[in-house]
Amino acid sequence: MTKTAQLLPGTLDMLILKAISLKPLHGYGVLLRIGQISKDALEITQGSLYPALYRLEHQGLIEAEWGESDNKRKARFYRLTPAGRQRMKEEAASWNRLVAAIAAAMSATPQEV
Amino acid sequence: MLPQLRSFARMVFGRREFERSMAEEMQFHLDTLTDDLIRSGLAPEDARRQARLAFGAEASHQEECREARGVRFVGELRQDLRYAVRQLARSPGFTIAAVLSLALGIGANSAIFGLMDAVLFRTLPIANPAQLYFLGHGSGKDRELSSNYPLLERYRASGIFASVTSSLQTTLTVETPEGLERVEGQYVSGNYHATIGAPFAMGHGFSDEPDRPDGRPLVAVISDGYWGRRFGRDPNIVGKTLSSGGRTFTIVGVTAPGFHGLTSGIRTDITLPMSVRALSDPSFLGARDRWISLRLVARLRPNQAETQALAAAGDLFQRYWAEPESERRPGDVRRAALLPAGRGSDGLRRTFGLALGVLLGMVGIVLLIACANVANLSFARGTVRAKEMAVRLSLGASRARLVRQMLTESLLLALAGGALGGLVASLSTSMITTAMAVGERPVIVDASVNWHVLAFTASVSILTSVLVGLAPALRSSKVDVTPMLKESAAAQRSGPLTVGRWLVVGQLALSALVICVAALLARSVMNMRSFDPGFTRASTVLFNIDAGDRSMTPERRATFFNELDSRLRARPGVLAVTFTQRSPLDESTQIRRIEVPGLAISDASPSASTNIVTPDFFRVFGMRVTRGREFTDSDRAGSDPVAVVDETLVRAYFGTSDPLGRRIVVGVDREPYTIVGVVRSARFESLRDEPSRTVYTALAQSKLGSKELVGDVRRITVAVHVQSNPGALASAIRGDVAALSRHVTVAYVRTMEQQLDAALMRERLMARLSLGYGVLALLLSLVGLYGIASFEVTRRTRDIGIRMALGATQRRVWSAVLSETATTSAIGITVGIGAAMAATQLIASFLFGVTPRDSVTMGVVAAVLMVTALMAGWIPARRAASIAPAQALKGL
Repeated sequence: MTKTAQLLPGTLDMLILKAISLKPLHGYGVLLRIGQISKDALEITQGSLYPALYRLEHQGLIEAEWGESDNKRKARFYRLTPAGRQRMKEEAASWNRLVAAIAAAMSATPQEV
Repeated sequence: MLPQLRSFARMVFGRREFERSMAEEMQFHLDTLTDDLIRSGLAPEDARRQARLAFGAEASHQEECREARGVRFVGELRQDLRYAVRQLARSPGFTIAAVLSLALGIGANSAIFGLMDAVLFRTLPIANPAQLYFLGHGSGKDRELSSNYPLLERYRASGIFASVTSSLQTTLTVETPEGLERVEGQYVSGNYHATIGAPFAMGHGFSDEPDRPDGRPLVAVISDGYWGRRFGRDPNIVGKTLSSGGRTFTIVGVTAPGFHGLTSGIRTDITLPMSVRALSDPSFLGARDRWISLRLVARLRPNQAETQALAAAGDLFQRYWAEPESERRPGDVRRAALLPAGRGSDGLRRTFGLALGVLLGMVGIVLLIACANVANLSFARGTVRAKEMAVRLSLGASRARLVRQMLTESLLLALAGGALGGLVASLSTSMITTAMAVGERPVIVDASVNWHVLAFTASVSILTSVLVGLAPALRSSKVDVTPMLKESAAAQRSGPLTVGRWLVVGQLALSALVICVAALLARSVMNMRSFDPGFTRASTVLFNIDAGDRSMTPERRATFFNELDSRLRARPGVLAVTFTQRSPLDESTQIRRIEVPGLAISDASPSASTNIVTPDFFRVFGMRVTRGREFTDSDRAGSDPVAVVDETLVRAYFGTSDPLGRRIVVGVDREPYTIVGVVRSARFESLRDEPSRTVYTALAQSKLGSKELVGDVRRITVAVHVQSNPGALASAIRGDVAALSRHVTVAYVRTMEQQLDAALMRERLMARLSLGYGVLALLLSLVGLYGIASFEVTRRTRDIGIRMALGATQRRVWSAVLSETATTSAIGITVGIGAAMAATQLIASFLFGVTPRDSVTMGVVAAVLMVTALMAGWIPARRAASIAPAQALKGL
């Protein structure tokens, strides 16, 4: 079993946006994609994905359409709207700033203080 | 915001679809996960179990999804609504009282707002209304829109504006198969329709024909209303003709509904070219010695600033004004003014703006009082329902949820009140507009319900619900659970009641304010009606005749006047008959420059009102001639022109010198009149204004031609003084005129009393409405007072029982309860009268014969309020006194 990390609050939305920015996906596909791009390092209760998807759709960041899945079944595919793409960029940028700041803080040596 | 709304709307309207889709989506997830797990080697049974485990609680995920979409809110709202309906149905007395009082309050507000919208705010349905301006002059109260045709030509030639046009309001006599008909009309320049961008339902406007008559066929444009009324919406109306004043006009267009010209309050039905006006009076286009009611309307160039246009127009006007050909008083300086025309002329706005504002304030107060009543009732119910609240709180309902529940109830009440209020509004609006449509030219206000008014009513209703519901809701949800569940309803705090008392104090104060205003206005109307304006008005019938038809030559007209005069005098009970250009309070003004050769007048620009009359004039109106003589039949054409002046003029210009025998020059007419008499002054223009200096001349001596320097005598008012029963004569008049001539129309047959009422229309309307609002406010407050007093008696039944058991007499109890009511009322009334003292200055301009802080009025209002308040408190006090101590103590 690999080591997994608890998801930080508020980051699920960002991950979803990232996942479907690459290609329209259904809910299950979103989970697989997050697992794939995070190398299965994040723990997500699968069902909790849906409230997040519905919230993002309500905010107009993603939109959904019924289509056919790989296993030839009807599935709901999500795709990014322009507003969603914009939001993803902003979140990524602010996330990177945060990570850089925290990393810098955590690697501070006694000499620097 | 938009995506949220869309997704929310999908939710509300596609609830079932949403649920199906959500379930299907989650099922797909589970199925695919299970398949993947099977493929990775798990047994189907295990795979399904593990998939479900990994997915988590489906029901709670679904609930979260619903919440994400706002569906949960909708679901709860439905629940709240159902609960609220049940609650309200359970106490029908409360519900009916609340809805009715809110309906009256909201309805009154909507009605007044609807009038304000129609009179003050509505923009005309024309192209780019903001670019359109009237070219007037003067400033402030002195501002006028009068002009003359040469000024129009000057503005046009200057090129200051994109275009300049003109219109002249008039009343036309139209020949119809059923006889002659009087119709509101206007003469306009050829570029009128193009300049203002008038909307057309059919055909087109005038095609820039010249205003100078050039023999081309005459055309007319009619309004949508007239098209329906007179032509039954004939689809082939364009090309048909109508006849007026002996000329025939071809109809070229019908304006769109809702457009009635630029004059506010008047529906102009027929529009004729300005050349027709010039045909009947060739000097009209060149006359500079008169400032007439010709309205100049200009459209600014695109992007032209108002200030820039005004500066250019100002220069032009000042030059024109200073030229010697203009009739102006020496030393009198006037400046050009641009008045926005996009909402039509401002006559109605000036007359009714403040009045409507005051009325809106009053109905706002009535609504506040109604809100206070409902809030008070809710407080009382809140106390009763405290137990219910406690139960719900202890079962885990959040406080916010309870507040929302109670707000839903008050919203429901307010919306029901608003809906019923719409009915109240439409009834009172039609009452008010009917009351406004009196007089010679009835004010017509289109206050039909539109989306402005609906939006206003809806917002007022919602605001009301918050006012009514929030405080009681917050208070009753703040229940301490444990004691409330343990103890009986008798052990409640007195908190809400204190709030209730203060609400009643506020109600009484506001009612006192409204009633003071109403009383002042009513007294003013009474004062005006009993005021002696210097003329008698009893038993006088007046009517207008229009003898302006082309076939009526000056000689024929004179003959007609004589014949009508004899015919009227022959009727039984007729004491005197006069033909006059102006009658008292007919809202006309006519001020001319005067000169008295050889008399040093201190006034730099002496002027006087003028009137043309026949000999009996002073007898008909009971005006005593104090010196010299009145007109006689021997003052006729050809004899020495004579004039009678009034005492005000004598006082102002003659001082102690004798006016009799002096000569007076009126207007630019160089031929002087000899003063033969002095008559008592009367308030002809307005009851509020001191009598103006007046010169009377004799009709028989005025030139009955079309170019009449002192005014148009083709249209004249006949006043008949009768012994009694003016109504009988009024009904005979049309027959008398018709028997004498087919070319003369009779209009506006009325008694002098009716004319006075019409002149006092605004004041009477305000007094009536504010009295209505005052009574309503008082009734609502008394209900509030009664409610709080009787509630308190009920609540304190045990207290009172104990006190009586300990020896308090009935009288003691009675007076204790009543004195509490008296204290509450006294505070409220005092505050209200104080507020009235401060506020009534606002209505000073509507008052007559009474000052805004009239102490008698205030005192009477305070006394009446106190007495009625004590009457309302009487019943609960009696009930308190009749409590049987034994029963009161046992009953608990």
